Amino acid sequence: MDPVLIGEILAGLMFFGVIGMLMLGFPVAFTLAGTSLLFALVGYHFEVFDPSNFAALAGRYVGYMTNEVLVAVPLFIFMGVMLERSKIAEQLLLTMGKLFGNVRGGLGYSVIIVGALLAASTGVVGATVVTMGLISLPAMIRARYDPKLASGVICASGTLGQIIPPSTVLIFMGDMLGGINAQVQMAKGNFAPTPVSVGDLFAGAFLPGFMLVLLYLIWIFIKSLIDPKSCPATPVPEAERRGLLKEVFTALVPPLMLIFAVLGSILGGIATPTEAASVGAVGAIVLAALRWRLSFKVLREAVISTASITSMIFIILFGASVFALVFRQMGGDNLVHEFLSGLPGGAIGAMIVVMLIMFVLGFILDTFEIIFIVIPITAPILLALGLDPVWVGVMVGVNLQTSFLTPPFGFSLFYLRGVAPNSVSTGMIYRGAIPFVALQVVAIALLFIFPEIVTWLPSVLRS
Amino acid sequence: MFKLLAFLMRAINALNKLVGNVFSWLSLGIVLVCFAVVVERYVFGSTRLWMQDLYVWLNGAMFTAVAGFALFRNQHVRVDIFYRPASIRRKAIADLVGVCLFLLPFMYILTIYSLPYVQRSWRFMEGSANIGGMPGLFILKSFLLVFTALVALQGLAVLIRSILIIARRDDLVPADFGYQYDKE
Repeated sequence: MDPVLIGEILAGLMFFGVIGMLMLGFPVAFTLAGTSLLFALVGYHFEVFDPSNFAALAGRYVGYMTNEVLVAVPLFIFMGVMLERSKIAEQLLLTMGKLFGNVRGGLGYSVIIVGALLAASTGVVGATVVTMGLISLPAMIRARYDPKLASGVICASGTLGQIIPPSTVLIFMGDMLGGINAQVQMAKGNFAPTPVSVGDLFAGAFLPGFMLVLLYLIWIFIKSLIDPKSCPATPVPEAERRGLLKEVFTALVPPLMLIFAVLGSILGGIATPTEAASVGAVGAIVLAALRWRLSFKVLREAVISTASITSMIFIILFGASVFALVFRQMGGDNLVHEFLSGLPGGAIGAMIVVMLIMFVLGFILDTFEIIFIVIPITAPILLALGLDPVWVGVMVGVNLQTSFLTPPFGFSLFYLRGVAPNSVSTGMIYRGAIPFVALQVVAIALLFIFPEIVTWLPSVLRS
Repeated sequence: MFKLLAFLMRAINALNKLVGNVFSWLSLGIVLVCFAVVVERYVFGSTRLWMQDLYVWLNGAMFTAVAGFALFRNQHVRVDIFYRPASIRRKAIADLVGVCLFLLPFMYILTIYSLPYVQRSWRFMEGSANIGGMPGLFILKSFLLVFTALVALQGLAVLIRSILIIARRDDLVPADFGYQYDKE
């Protein structure tokens, strides 16, 4: 049999093999790597995989270990854990919940708003969901929310970091799409194409991100009408209401200022996300100290949580790298390329298929792995078919965000599972995510029908 | 025989607990060093390039060194649709299979293929690629081997736990390494 064909068959089988093996319940990071190694062994037997390729792993891992951008992950986790352990985040959410007063679902609204703010500050799905999970879930359960709704809101709000600027996903995508677009236009004979920048992608993602937040808020509102028990109002007693103004200034304003400072300095182009994150982490320590909540015990818990969670996330990245390496070496990406170039249905048909592939890949691969593999292979075809590069980039972002939210493999759900208390079962997390997945599908449909939601703002800013 | 295995398991746990408790503090180091860099740049308008390497490298050293400890704490995420409701014996069997089929081969391959990479780095005492950066990149690269060693050892401890549970010697499994799902 043709070795190329054998390789491609193995790559295809490996994709499903990994999914099957994950069901065993052994930690994802090691299962991803181990299953890929087993398939590599089979590939070696059929002479379609050369084990010397594994030599590339060490360099890639050291690449992760020396990646400046990724240091934002432990820094934001530290900030989140610190705000949580010192009970500042809980008070922020509770005070905000009180501000929304006797409205049903008030805590839900505040979680979405606080979540969108936190999401915007990281752009790293794991860090955001973990931070939100540590902060919001215990507070909402204490307020007797339906755990399904609570975990759904958190997972969904956490994935907003994929799309709300300054998402790191958008930075990479803007860079790649800019280059590909220039090549495609050149090939078409357009030697002075309008350049596509990271800034364009940020501008393009702004309204869709805002729209998603709005959709989430509307859902909570509907939920509070049809199922009031799932998101009870948190009535404020008369005695407490008098102290509310003081509480707003002590519990609400300082952490909000911290979050806005971190956000603003990134959006204003003053600081990189990593730099801003360190300011956020130090700010969290200072806020804890100001409230006499900074003890050795709190600090020790914070560093141990930060280190373990960070390690868990990066080791998943390690495992996914092995999968990507074996998949690519056995010709998996050729398989995809051949498949796409022979597709009927024109630009929209190809786009839909690419979106579906990315959606499924989002179950096992990390954002960056996905966009680094899929964008270079597919984007030249899509742009040559006449699709707008900014629109393609934003669609990919919303699509991956949806993928990370979809049970049973969504990364967002894994990360929340990692920090959720025992009383919240995995089934609850899965079921809670489903309405938000539906909202995402609505959003994707809207962006398909009205691409102006994406392209309008960049064109206004450009002129 | 089981007593000996249990002793080995407790020794590995103690090692990873020690490493985890020490290296977790690097996260505070990352925060402080990165903040110092920001203050220097934006307040005093100067930068020390080695410090920009330092906080990045601290992260690399931290998450590799703590990985075994995270495994001890059962912090590595699982797809637990079937695992979570399973009995302790079934969990033990799943872990036994996982360690033998996935974890140990992964650590073996990674060790074999990163050894020459790390050795090369040691030979010329490799430093940062950035001009004016940190010396000692070879030490950071060595953490790949620290990672494989500590995770493989903790994998062995998980394996021993599985064997003890399958052999119905649960009494030899310490409480902090038991099968409660997670500890938070």
